[in-house]
Amino acid sequence: MGELPELLRGEARRTAEVWAGESQGWVAYVIWIVLGGALFGAAVGWWRAPLQACYTALKLPLILLLTALGNGLLNAMLAPLVGVPLTLRQSLMAVLMSFGVAAMILGALSPLLAFLVWNTPSLAEAAARDSRNHGIILVTQAGMIALAGFVANLRLWQALRSFSGRGKASLRLLGCWLAGNLLLGSQLAWVCRPFVGSPQLAVQFLRAEAFQGSFYESIFGIMRRLFFP
Amino acid sequence: MSDSIPPTSAMPPLLPTANAGATTRPEIMPLGEDPADREAIAGPLAAVEALLRQPRRVVYWARQGSAGRLTGILFAIALVCSLLYGIVVGTFSLNAQLWAAPLKVAGGFFLSALICLPSLYIFACLSGARVRVSEVCGLIAGLLALMTILLVGFAPVAWIFSQSTQSLPAMGALHLMFWAIATYFGVRFLQHGFSHFGGRPAGLRVWSLIFVLVMIQMTTALRPLVGTADSFLPGEKKFFLSHWVEELQK
Repeated sequence: MGELPELLRGEARRTAEVWAGESQGWVAYVIWIVLGGALFGAAVGWWRAPLQACYTALKLPLILLLTALGNGLLNAMLAPLVGVPLTLRQSLMAVLMSFGVAAMILGALSPLLAFLVWNTPSLAEAAARDSRNHGIILVTQAGMIALAGFVANLRLWQALRSFSGRGKASLRLLGCWLAGNLLLGSQLAWVCRPFVGSPQLAVQFLRAEAFQGSFYESIFGIMRRLFFP
Repeated sequence: MSDSIPPTSAMPPLLPTANAGATTRPEIMPLGEDPADREAIAGPLAAVEALLRQPRRVVYWARQGSAGRLTGILFAIALVCSLLYGIVVGTFSLNAQLWAAPLKVAGGFFLSALICLPSLYIFACLSGARVRVSEVCGLIAGLLALMTILLVGFAPVAWIFSQSTQSLPAMGALHLMFWAIATYFGVRFLQHGFSHFGGRPAGLRVWSLIFVLVMIQMTTALRPLVGTADSFLPGEKKFFLSHWVEELQK
């Protein structure tokens, strides 16, 4: 935990030292992802049912870890290509660090989300009677995720800049990593749905049609129906 | 005989210049430089006095290695004062509210602090403050203690009104006003404390807003605080704005 306050303050020097030296530095990042992601996931799923809270608590850290691992090789290849000399281990640690920071911010905000859920009628009741509650919860979740994502990426960029000493190249690398992680992460999230759950469907870890279609096909379908009904 | 006056010990002190004043203002002086900051806080009464008169002293001791005892004292003050104020809140409806209201008021304060503690630490770090979790606990204990001490100060006024009026919204508004004043001073203490940890105020302002919203919602989640009900906690979940609108429409 020792590095987290420094990271949150934007003091990237020690992080750069960790990337350069400590081979076990990734363990702390994984712990942050599991802990923070599980807490926030539990708060998200709790609105539907306690069992959904357990499932989402498992799925959220899993998505973050799988995204980091799945893109690990690609991220390591992109780094030298855009002018930031990072090894495979260092690029993996960098991505794990940013996911860890986001997860810990979400974990710290999870009591607030849980309090909001506690004060909101159940999902079934809210869906049947008042869609405003549904909207408030979703907007709050989106706002929290946006805040955590923004801070994590800002701190990642600062750490990359501090490590490499190349501002523009670090920004380019961040852009490339963001694009790759978004591509994989959104599909993993699509496969792992539901997170909140639906009152019309049973609580389940994965939907029966989890591996049918993709996030992007779904977006394409929605757009097609919207513009060519 | 020269016109210049030789400096002697009998001379009156020099008038402070604007610049000198700026360097010796206690609120921007580093903690511990003023000997008064280092004066030990022996017990609850000394802690109450320090919170009201010398908040720097509380912040200084909250940063020391032995801050756990002070944090405990501040939490104990907050508990006793919130229970006392809760009794006064309960005198409006009497009967079961005499024990329910103190429990809810104290529980509301502590639950709000607990819910907001992790985000306070995160926001403090994001704003650049060099602060440990134990120090954040000390400052939030100070915030709760100061708020509840001020509420106890308002308690006689609240009691007079609770014995005079039958209007539930009026009583609720009065308690909210007292709570708002106490919150203002509590948050000011917290911001003053964090200024010594090197934090920028913007992050703390966001957190203050979250804390205020959580506390207001807590009054709805734990209702009724002033009025009466068949059960200890409400069956229906509501946001505070809907609850207020419904109460005003009754």
